[in-house]
Amino acid sequence: MNFRHVRTGLGASLRTYARTPVLLALLVILPAYMLGVFGWILPETTVSVSLSGGESVRASMSTVYLTLLTPMTGALVGAIAGLFLMQSTREADGRLVITGFSPGSVIAARLGVLVLVGVLVTAVTVGVATTMISPDALAAFALATVLGTVIYALLGALAGLVVGRLAGVYLVLFGTMIDLFLLQNPLATDTPTLATWLPGSPPVELALEAMFVGDLAMAPLARGLGMILVVGVLATAAFALRR
Amino acid sequence: MPEVARRERFTLGLTTSLKEFLRQPLQVVLLLALPPLVVEAYGQAMASFPALPFMGSMPATLGRINGAVFAAAFLAGLVGLFQVIAAVEADERLELAGFGRLELFARRLGTVLVVSLLAAGTSLAALLWQVDVAAPLAAYGALALAAGLYGLLGMLIGVALPRELEGSLVLVFLADSDDVLASGLANIDAPLTDLTPLHYPHAIFSAAVTDGSVASGDVTGGLAYLAVLGVAALAVYSVSLGQGGVLS
Repeated sequence: MNFRHVRTGLGASLRTYARTPVLLALLVILPAYMLGVFGWILPETTVSVSLSGGESVRASMSTVYLTLLTPMTGALVGAIAGLFLMQSTREADGRLVITGFSPGSVIAARLGVLVLVGVLVTAVTVGVATTMISPDALAAFALATVLGTVIYALLGALAGLVVGRLAGVYLVLFGTMIDLFLLQNPLATDTPTLATWLPGSPPVELALEAMFVGDLAMAPLARGLGMILVVGVLATAAFALRR
Repeated sequence: MPEVARRERFTLGLTTSLKEFLRQPLQVVLLLALPPLVVEAYGQAMASFPALPFMGSMPATLGRINGAVFAAAFLAGLVGLFQVIAAVEADERLELAGFGRLELFARRLGTVLVVSLLAAGTSLAALLWQVDVAAPLAAYGALALAAGLYGLLGMLIGVALPRELEGSLVLVFLADSDDVLASGLANIDAPLTDLTPLHYPHAIFSAAVTDGSVASGDVTGGLAYLAVLGVAALAVYSVSLGQGGVLS
């Protein structure tokens, strides 16, 4: 991998983003709208929440759902950004490789953009969420959102390389809903074991621990980083095969 | 132009749009395979929830009901969005060649409606596999209404934000909020939820599946929503068509 190539690719991608103010505005407004609306209308009913260690805590429904929706919102934005980034730059990336950029450098540059989108979305979502909830470990809570955003951004990028845009958006919406909102929902009492191996598990587990226990849970963090590595390798392989 | 020739031209345009959609095998697979997958995945995922007091049905059934509504609606919404964005330049040229704006809009809407009816059919078929539906015709009507509403919403967003990334982001966030609100997992009872696009079709569909009843208030509300979205989509489409596909 050539770092000068990575920097050039990253700079070009960021300039493209900066040239589309509507997109930048949407990246801020939509997550804020989602969390703001739900924070406003969710009931304060107390519910029991199952944590990963088997213990359960009681909290208001609005707190539980805002904890779940924060990484989920990041994942949604990340996945859409990843999907369209790979789709829109596919031809240009192919030409970059012809001019001497390695597939790894191109993917690293695109990944850099996705990480920066993840940081921006995390700043917005965590900023809005903390006006309504107070996580015991704020940094770990923010890390959970970045993790969710980056894992799903890579999955979106993979989808962008393998299926078309229409199919990709469809998969993104239902993938995030089924994985994060249904299978990782802490109100569920009989979650299948398979759910632990899904990409939504590490960020949600990390967010719940940060919110209700006040810890940075190392096990889900390690699993999440492992997932980033695996999906990153798959996306690079898909890119190398498709160009 | 004589009425017969105009009708022939409209039919030709509509069939061309449909052929364009069906020519891509992945889109046909989406239409046929994804609704059953989504319905079943929602059902299986919701089965892990306890039967909470505020849920209208058993969790697995509730999940399949939600899955059917969203599978039908979101597919139509995406087709509406992508079709309008892809057709901006072609429609501009067709208008210059003498096609009326209403005719062009009706042609795009026709494709979305056909896809909506098909998506509603596959979603209902997937639900029937696992759930006894009390009133299948009313259930199909509710799914078609849901798909029609999202199809129009997709068209409206596609005209207002004629870029796939931005349009998809808005549509996905709208659908996601709708999905969370209608999931029955949060016991939300705020008047704001009556304004979400799927509030009425979801209520009609749930009642049609579980007890076979159809509330006239929900039908009226859903059709009124459809009419308002249709007029808004036509108005925005007409304005943008004279300005190179952009609103300002």
